[in-house]
Amino acid sequence: MSAPPLDDHPVPHRGGVGRYLAVWAALIAFTAVTVAAARLQLPGGWALAVALAIAAVKSALVALFFMHLWDHGGANRLVLATSLFFVALLMGLVLADNATRFPLANPPTEATLRFMPPGPDPVAPAPPARR
Amino acid sequence: MSTSSEHVAHHFPDLETQAHAARLGMWLFLATEILLFAGLFTAYALYRMLFPSAFAGASGLIDTRMGALNTVVLITSSLTVALAYHFSRQGRGRAAAALLLATIALAGVFLVVKYVEYAHHIGAGHLPGRYYRYPALDVPGAAMFFTLYFLMTGLHGIHVVAGMGVLAWLAAGAWRGSYGGEYSTPLELGGMYWHLVDLVWIFLFPLLYLI
Amino acid sequence: MAPRGGAWSWLTTRDHKRIGIMYLVLTSAMLALGGFYAMAIRMELLTPGPTVMEAQTYNRMFTLHGVIMILLFMIPAIPGIFTNFFLPLMIGARDVAFPRLNLFSVYLYLAGALIAVYGMIQGGADTGWTFYTPYSTTTVTKVWPILLGGFTLGMASIVTGLNFIVTVHTLRAPGLTWMRLPLFVWSSYATSVIQVLATPVLGITLLLVAVENVFGFGVFDPARGGDPVLFQHLFWFYSHPAVYIMVLPAMGVVSEVLQAFARRNVFGYKAVAFSSLGIAFVGFFTWGHHLFTSGQSAVDAGIFGVLTMFVGVFTAIKVFNWTATLYRGSISFQTPFAYAIAFIFFVVFGGMTGVALATVALDVHWQDTYFVVAHFHFIMVGGTLTGFLAALHYWWPKMTGRMYSEKWGLVAAVFIFLGFNFTFVPQYLLGNAGMPRRYYSYPERFWALNVASSAGASVLAMGFVIVLAYLLLSLKYGPRAAANPWGSRGYEWMTPTPPPPENFLGQPTYPRPAHDYREAHPGQEGH
Repeated sequence: MSAPPLDDHPVPHRGGVGRYLAVWAALIAFTAVTVAAARLQLPGGWALAVALAIAAVKSALVALFFMHLWDHGGANRLVLATSLFFVALLMGLVLADNATRFPLANPPTEATLRFMPPGPDPVAPAPPARR
Repeated sequence: MSTSSEHVAHHFPDLETQAHAARLGMWLFLATEILLFAGLFTAYALYRMLFPSAFAGASGLIDTRMGALNTVVLITSSLTVALAYHFSRQGRGRAAAALLLATIALAGVFLVVKYVEYAHHIGAGHLPGRYYRYPALDVPGAAMFFTLYFLMTGLHGIHVVAGMGVLAWLAAGAWRGSYGGEYSTPLELGGMYWHLVDLVWIFLFPLLYLI
Repeated sequence: MAPRGGAWSWLTTRDHKRIGIMYLVLTSAMLALGGFYAMAIRMELLTPGPTVMEAQTYNRMFTLHGVIMILLFMIPAIPGIFTNFFLPLMIGARDVAFPRLNLFSVYLYLAGALIAVYGMIQGGADTGWTFYTPYSTTTVTKVWPILLGGFTLGMASIVTGLNFIVTVHTLRAPGLTWMRLPLFVWSSYATSVIQVLATPVLGITLLLVAVENVFGFGVFDPARGGDPVLFQHLFWFYSHPAVYIMVLPAMGVVSEVLQAFARRNVFGYKAVAFSSLGIAFVGFFTWGHHLFTSGQSAVDAGIFGVLTMFVGVFTAIKVFNWTATLYRGSISFQTPFAYAIAFIFFVVFGGMTGVALATVALDVHWQDTYFVVAHFHFIMVGGTLTGFLAALHYWWPKMTGRMYSEKWGLVAAVFIFLGFNFTFVPQYLLGNAGMPRRYYSYPERFWALNVASSAGASVLAMGFVIVLAYLLLSLKYGPRAAANPWGSRGYEWMTPTPPPPENFLGQPTYPRPAHDYREAHPGQEGH
């Protein structure tokens, strides 16, 4: 097996002022789009999905062109991809925990508070005075 | 390949390898920044999942126009810092310094807007955790939204202030002509840091202001 | 290292070898301090009920023992000392990629240690090194300096790891390809990846706890909608992979030592190299096994339980390959080799109990008992500390230019091996019988085993005192070391002793794989 392709070969920066301006214009345009999309009040999880998709496109533009990942590949791209993978891992398994728990094991929410008996909590002690 | 430059440290074979090492090191540092913010984004995701309506209501208390304005300001500052690097590589140090000063000015605008927002929220009682005083939205999770709002924008703001310091130092160097076509690595790395500050805001804006 | 220049030249040095020595001095001092707290704990547990200290003092002692041993010794020790000193020598580099950052990491470490010591002088925290909420956010003890110290030490750790990754990528000598890197370099690389990716999450978590402790924003407070289990998720997202930050470098040391003292190239180079990356990767998928009884959902518990067992697969790959390396080797049983063999014994024992603990149903019985304490001490003391001692003895001649007493080396190794077993095997039994960890007192039926454990701890401490004594004496009276006293064919032994300031006289070349002993043993097949 040959060496893993982890080292990149630096290439001179291509493109110029024009490319930076085009990326900037696209970023401004996407900002307008995301504000407009929020006004639409999309149902369910779609508002979040659309907003995050637009944010992902914007950040990809910044990373690829402002931060030159388009020109410098190899290990640098691997570092960014790995860090994003671990962000997804952390978030995914934490959310999976709370989403699949017995609901009353989560912090009290609007959905679970109605199960609480009226009156003072018989189990939990009163919070300390300093808080 | 240039091996004669005074910028090559003794343990590197040439400037190209050194620039590559610096860039890779900077990306690793940015990865640590991403994972630093990841802790807060995870907390946000969790509490948003638990308190969907409270987060929607609390998000409505934040002025979208302010957030949009700051987004435009930060994106533009990213452009100016990218252009500064571009001009520095062409040997136009003075132009680069001017663009870096413009970036610092835009960062200042960002902080002023942020200050106006903070002052409004503090006055209105939109405060974190046990300091929350806003009877019109008294549901579980509303205070948590503002806890996260202040923690996330606060940590981001600290990065903005630190970035301004870095940019000022780079602007001084560019004005003196320390950087050029052969060696603009500090400017490149400082720029990357500033773009990361922008990247974080690109996600904070929709999550806190829009939805 | 040849003495040159004064104290100032040491404090401002950018030479990775001197920085390694500085880490050796600092982390050894911390090992002694942490060991002092360990002995204090064992002293207190010598009898049921109060023995030598108050319950509150005891709580601070075990907290400081954990914080110091983990954050100030286990995590920085092998990377800070041995990776710093030997990684550039092994890959033919004149220094690490960022020498100034390297020096900066020493000062970050020192600052973190001083902040933590300030917290100790102010009374110290009593939360345990895990800082679990809600106790850590409500305790009146000085928890914030310890948290801030931990944050600073995390930065030092990140800087070190970042430096090594870039060094391996950019400064390998011409002709030294990835598949020829010494195995210590592979395991150090895997360690660095964990340091860079996991530590920032600990950083933000400690900051959040400090903010909670001082301001009470309620991120982890159920009364304000917070989830304390979120803290445990964030904390263990770092602190479980941190176990691999501690043990992976030791595994690399063992790979080097076994090859050198068995006079045999490692069996299955690629398997050993890639299993380091495998442990680093899978290590990130296991943190939830600390939360089995904390209210985590059964779905997550099942996922984490199964994924945890994969660590056992990768560790077993290493153990089998190490054993196969010894087969038909020409073994010389010297001190470093003794520690390497002890390492394998302890890690197999500790690893197997780890697989048992990963089983959710069994963990419910063992959670927070001395069984867990014994398990992780088998990995951390039996694994990391033994690997540290193997590295210290193997590389001492190259680092100091002196030979230590081989006879006393083996004597101390026997003390440490026996003392360790007498300390921690009783703790397995205690835990299985139901003795909870971190308790100040215990019923009388646990007395005998606690006395055995405390007695074993004294033997273990005695072993360390012997090591300290003969190593310090060797600095003054030890015979001068040759460039390669073990006849090792590791790359780091190709440079003179002590290594010159820029590591090599001329550009080193790498015509053969590291630890290629085939010339000496013509009958031996390569891997």
